Amino acid sequence: MLKIEDLKVSFDGESILRGINLEVADDECLAVIGESGAGKTTLGLSIMGLLNGNTAGQINLGDTNILTLSEEEMRNLRWSHVAMAFQSSQNRLNPTHRILDQVAEPLIAHGKQEKAPAREKAAGLLEKVGIEPEKLSHYPHELSGGEQQRVLIAMALVNEPELLILDEPISSLDAKSQVEMIAFLRRAIAGRMTLLVTHNLSTAAKLASRTATLYGGRIVELGPTNLMLSQPRHPYTRALLRSYPNMTTVKDLQGIKGRMDRRVIGCPFHPRCTQAIPICREQIPALENHEGRLVACHRGGIIPALSVTDISKSFKTLKAVDGVSLVLEHGETLALVGQSGSGKTTLARMLSGILEPDAGEIFIEHRKAGQPSKDFHRTVQLVFQNPGEALSHRLTVLEAVREPLEVQGIGTRAEQDKAARKVIEEVELPTTEEFLDEYPHHLSGGELQRVNIARALVLNPQVLIADEPTAFLDSSIQAKVLKLLMNLQENRGLSMLFITHDIAVARKISDRIAVMHEGRIAEQGSTSQIITSPSSPHTQSLLDSAAGLHSDTEIARDE
Amino acid sequence: MLTKGNLLTYLIALLIILTLNFFLPRMMPGDPLMAIYGDEALVQMSPQLKADLTERFALDQSLAEQFASYWLALFRGDLGYSYSYNAPVTEVIFGRLPWTLLLAGLALLLSTAIGIMLGIESGWRRGGRFDSGVLSGMVTLSGFPDFFLGILLLLLFAVNLKVLPLFGAEDVYSGLSGFARLIDIGEHLILPLTTLVLARITGGYLLTRNTMIGVLKEPYILLARAKGLKPRTVKYRHAGRNSMLPVMTQTGIWMGLMVTGVLFIEVVFSYPGIGLLAYDALTFRDYPVLQGLLLVSAFCVLGANFIVDLLYARVDPRVSYAH
Repeated sequence: MLKIEDLKVSFDGESILRGINLEVADDECLAVIGESGAGKTTLGLSIMGLLNGNTAGQINLGDTNILTLSEEEMRNLRWSHVAMAFQSSQNRLNPTHRILDQVAEPLIAHGKQEKAPAREKAAGLLEKVGIEPEKLSHYPHELSGGEQQRVLIAMALVNEPELLILDEPISSLDAKSQVEMIAFLRRAIAGRMTLLVTHNLSTAAKLASRTATLYGGRIVELGPTNLMLSQPRHPYTRALLRSYPNMTTVKDLQGIKGRMDRRVIGCPFHPRCTQAIPICREQIPALENHEGRLVACHRGGIIPALSVTDISKSFKTLKAVDGVSLVLEHGETLALVGQSGSGKTTLARMLSGILEPDAGEIFIEHRKAGQPSKDFHRTVQLVFQNPGEALSHRLTVLEAVREPLEVQGIGTRAEQDKAARKVIEEVELPTTEEFLDEYPHHLSGGELQRVNIARALVLNPQVLIADEPTAFLDSSIQAKVLKLLMNLQENRGLSMLFITHDIAVARKISDRIAVMHEGRIAEQGSTSQIITSPSSPHTQSLLDSAAGLHSDTEIARDE
Repeated sequence: MLTKGNLLTYLIALLIILTLNFFLPRMMPGDPLMAIYGDEALVQMSPQLKADLTERFALDQSLAEQFASYWLALFRGDLGYSYSYNAPVTEVIFGRLPWTLLLAGLALLLSTAIGIMLGIESGWRRGGRFDSGVLSGMVTLSGFPDFFLGILLLLLFAVNLKVLPLFGAEDVYSGLSGFARLIDIGEHLILPLTTLVLARITGGYLLTRNTMIGVLKEPYILLARAKGLKPRTVKYRHAGRNSMLPVMTQTGIWMGLMVTGVLFIEVVFSYPGIGLLAYDALTFRDYPVLQGLLLVSAFCVLGANFIVDLLYARVDPRVSYAH
């Protein structure tokens, strides 16, 4: 069993690992995921005892703390007990030795076998990882990058180590070879302690039973792999998933705002986190148990930005909204999809504080929202369906965007102007004096909706409720506005409730979908799940009528 | 590996050199006989000799026929006649060549081997006491020109201490034979050999050390350490072998320039090799000998390159792949 306790590694005063605690059971594969520079490879190398930096803490392999071993003892441990399949890179294999010799070398060097049987065993392994027999006596430069990676994997297995470290084991392989390699690795790691280090979430999903997310030299989330990848709780794990191209999720890719900085005080992720509060800047969160996994977050992982419980609204005899409960999480897009008259807009108006519910409660984060107040509007903003109607025709662009700040009484006129210009630039509109002095009737539909979005964003709200914001736009303009909303979410970490009748739009931009029918939520779940296996007939009918480019669907319905 | 194309390159280079060797004296102003034979021949020039020479070089015939007879002579191994030595040029040069081969060959072997070994050790212990010591020693050494080192050693060991002979390759009139002669030759060899090795070692050392430092940062060195190999194995099998490559190229170049490379040393020690021969031929304006030496050194350059090509392909498989 491998037990890492409070492992700290620094190079020239720069901390790379800042207190790692991990356990790998005897027959378990643990994945460590994270972006480049998170310290994944450093973690692997520290277990190999190959770091030149300062190392503190304990790495216990069985009863031995390998950090206390002498270089000679460490040398005997390497490859025989702990071996690493290095990431394939230029000059990873020695250019002047044949690959067969390089694979057989550790067997001979550790006195496990004589030269001839060692080469025989190496040849067998190389063949198993997919190296053709005639290439055994080739030199590394005669192999492709993928073949070199296979050689490195065969090499790591040759001495049958108790602990195997896999560093990006399939990154140089093409898609088909990746599948074969994953199948091979599954057999190879069975019954062996394995530490898989990767940014490839699919590899983690296929090989590891548990996964740890590494960020800024700390573990920020640790739990069962399927849970971590389907319902991430740490904002960083979710961001990794959102930026990872795969066939399971359907939402467009989103990056992670900012870049990693190792010198951060407090929570390592807080400069890039969209739900950071003052304590995040000061204290390092501990790994604590939340919903079946460990999360290092002062807020206990991703929190609900806006939630309603059992909310209802009737107009005379019509029950427009009938006992709806919804949670909009921080930094996510929830699409509220339904036909006209299903109660979407009524729900949106109650959520944005325009309409008072008959029953039920609204929470902002964990606080109950009382009477609609200035404070509430600073947190929740609404973008309307018809951009032309939403803007007063007597206000210029600058005045319209500035107005919410005036109403809230925030800042001096100069500050208000500055904030307005900044946000106008953010929604990708020109900030020339001519444009700022335009009146709404001179603007196009796309420009009008951008002005509306700017107006909503100028108060820096956490929640943006967009009610069919693209319904009046043609599809090329719609695409641009949707992209803009996605980018705003990435950069500002906005939580967005996106109301639409078009499930095709919802599919591309939302993390989750709630389907509404006759004032109730018919079904809700992750977007990929709703799209691929809907359980409600209402969802199915929305899917059937959604836009498609196949001619046969139209014909089938006519019959 | 050596390919046909490769071999053809060598052949073409040789043809060009030999052709130039033919045309150069004929392009010099004045009597080609003067150009070919120089002052020495002029003193002895009788009408009879002139007629002989004219016929020998077909000087009364067309240039094409002259060219043909030049080639024929070459194939016969006839490089002309030296009047200052009163012997055929071939004989003169081949009489001297073994001494240079002995001196320069050994110097080359020793300086390269020692340079590589020290370079590997030094690079492995970069910044350590061994490294700093050897490095500063080498840099100091490289400040001395080879003839100066030679004179210094000569004064110390031959003139002052009188433990080693002053000049020559052997005691010519001692009548020694067998083992005793070998010892005599060895004693004469020590000083010029040491001088040459000392003068040449720095280049190989510095090149190996620098390459070694670069190689030690290569990913395959980390992998070699990860495999739990002994430090010695990592140092020599993985790092050292890759650090030798540039030095081999350098050694090949020097091997080709052997004639000029040993010139100063052979003069200082009056060592009867082809360096000293070239020096004497220059002094006496013995053109036939100089021309012969030009050919010999052209052969040396080509031969050395050829050998390096062969060796390189064995040590670095990427080279054969590149062809």
